[in-house]
Amino acid sequence: MKGRLARWGWSLFAWGLILLVAAPLVWMVATSLKPEDEVFSLEPALLPEEPTLEHYATLLTETGFAGYFANSATIATATTVVVVGLAVLGAFSLARFRYRGRETIASAVLLCYMLPSVVLIIPLYLMMVKLGLANTIASLVIAYTSFALPYALWLLRTFMAAIPAEIEQAALIDGASRMGAFFDVLLPQALPGIISTALFTFILAWNEYLFALVLVNADDVRPLTTGVMTMLVSGFNIEWSLLMAASVMMSVPLIIILAFLQGYLVKGFGAGAVKG
Amino acid sequence: MASIAFEGLTKRFGTTDVVRGIDLAVPSGAFLSLLGPSGCGKSTLLRMLAGLEDPSEGRILFDGEVVNDVPPGRRDIAMVFQSYALYPHMTVAQNIAYPLRKRGVKRAERDAAVARVAAMLQLDALLARRPRELSGGQQQRVALGRALVRDPRIFLLDEPLSNLDATLRSLMRSELVALHRRIGRTMVYVTHDQLEAMTMSTHVAVIDGGVLQQFGSPADVYRRPANRMVAGFIGTPAMAFLDGVVAAGRLLVAGEVVAATGAADGAVTVGVRAEDVTIGDGGIAARVSHVEAVGHETLVTLEGGFGRVTARAAADCALVPGDAAAWAARAERLHLFDDRSGVRLDAPCSPVRGPTPRDEQHDG
Repeated sequence: MKGRLARWGWSLFAWGLILLVAAPLVWMVATSLKPEDEVFSLEPALLPEEPTLEHYATLLTETGFAGYFANSATIATATTVVVVGLAVLGAFSLARFRYRGRETIASAVLLCYMLPSVVLIIPLYLMMVKLGLANTIASLVIAYTSFALPYALWLLRTFMAAIPAEIEQAALIDGASRMGAFFDVLLPQALPGIISTALFTFILAWNEYLFALVLVNADDVRPLTTGVMTMLVSGFNIEWSLLMAASVMMSVPLIIILAFLQGYLVKGFGAGAVKG
Repeated sequence: MASIAFEGLTKRFGTTDVVRGIDLAVPSGAFLSLLGPSGCGKSTLLRMLAGLEDPSEGRILFDGEVVNDVPPGRRDIAMVFQSYALYPHMTVAQNIAYPLRKRGVKRAERDAAVARVAAMLQLDALLARRPRELSGGQQQRVALGRALVRDPRIFLLDEPLSNLDATLRSLMRSELVALHRRIGRTMVYVTHDQLEAMTMSTHVAVIDGGVLQQFGSPADVYRRPANRMVAGFIGTPAMAFLDGVVAAGRLLVAGEVVAATGAADGAVTVGVRAEDVTIGDGGIAARVSHVEAVGHETLVTLEGGFGRVTARAAADCALVPGDAAAWAARAERLHLFDDRSGVRLDAPCSPVRGPTPRDEQHDG
């Protein structure tokens, strides 16, 4: 009796949490489908009475939304490729090779991760200006790499360290080269970790706002986050309908990716949690 | 096929010597067991043979050629790991074919070789499965198959049977021996199980604390253990060690003369194996402390002023703990060790002739 009551209690609690998280999202989708007059109706309704896609059409045809979207996609993809490429090799070294200063490097990486990224904005901006990269997509890719890489290294190192070294050694004896053993044996084993690292990096780069605001000031290289804000939110007016439609479209890629790779993500974070 | 030799082989991790100056050589086609308690350095020795660890000092020779700097893949060896180390994302067939693939063997040839090995190890029905879908015994056979497929000159086996249950273990033991006889390749087998070493090998190297304690045939190691460590490690139940004294060519234990010996006067350690002890009317007085009926025989532990010995008695032995008993050991089978260094004293013992031991003692 008591057990059943407790279970009911927990269920209620869980559903309450879900409602709390999901409500704004539901509101966002609903609003994006409402005609302008319904949005500002004095008797707000949850569901649109006459659903419309006009805001989506407006966004795609009459604004720079598509451009921002392309920029975001480029930045997030490039960052992910760079970070995962470097982190896989770096983590392999940190997990498998014995050399002087290995632990120091690993700790330094963690320390970098703990540094609040806000303190890096001004130095990074000045560096980008010196390098002639200010207002470029590359500047954002570099900036995002600087704070995604430490975490990626740490996550992948933990992941790789948990894979028994003996299967690589078996591959070495079976005639594989060091890199051969890495590609044939370690990489397939580390795939869940690599995928979750890639997801993490992609989401981070896709959602980032502060660096994009500071480092990029030209409209043709702005990503979605800052682009949508400057376009639709001004001191006088907020284009709520368009903003909500833009938000929905921004979320779609992430939702699609997560839906497919959710299993890997959970696995990867689990591995990271076991060992620090 | 290849002979193997270690010359002054030493491995240091930091300041710890894991393997210390090991010298030994086995001929081509030998079945060498590296036997010792866990942490004795036997696995490190095997890993140096495989090329997975570099020796700190000394040389490793295959067929008289130094292989210290030859990478594992070029040593023409195969290894079976204790954990089997199968490639989890590959099927059984892909696992077995991997060494061939890495050596550029053509697909058709590879498939034929896999089929041949699979038939030999009865893996035919499992070729499409992945390692996690197999039982421990099946995984072990896949690991063996991956080693066999290439026909290397040396096989290295790192406690390959330790994860199997008792029945399967004894089955695989005889299969491995049969395999060795059939293919005639040099095999190096690491184990902490003296029974495995004794039953399978042509050569046994007993290692403790990174030092080679004794190297010889299984019979040698059993009959003439080089020191107390080897004597105590080999044989079940373990050899009993008693304090003894040698005086004027007589060996005394607890004041009783037990044998005539050529050893020099002084304190010695006397080693007694259970099968050499007989419980009867005459001999050293003791009390039964423990009786273990094993089925085909009964192990009787006796305690007294001399210490403690175990005797192999008949299955129908009626002794119970607390009974008084007297025991004697076959004099020519006693082992004498230096009481301080534990090194075997090469002085044969023999039965005392003429007067009974008790009279002898009065004379002495």
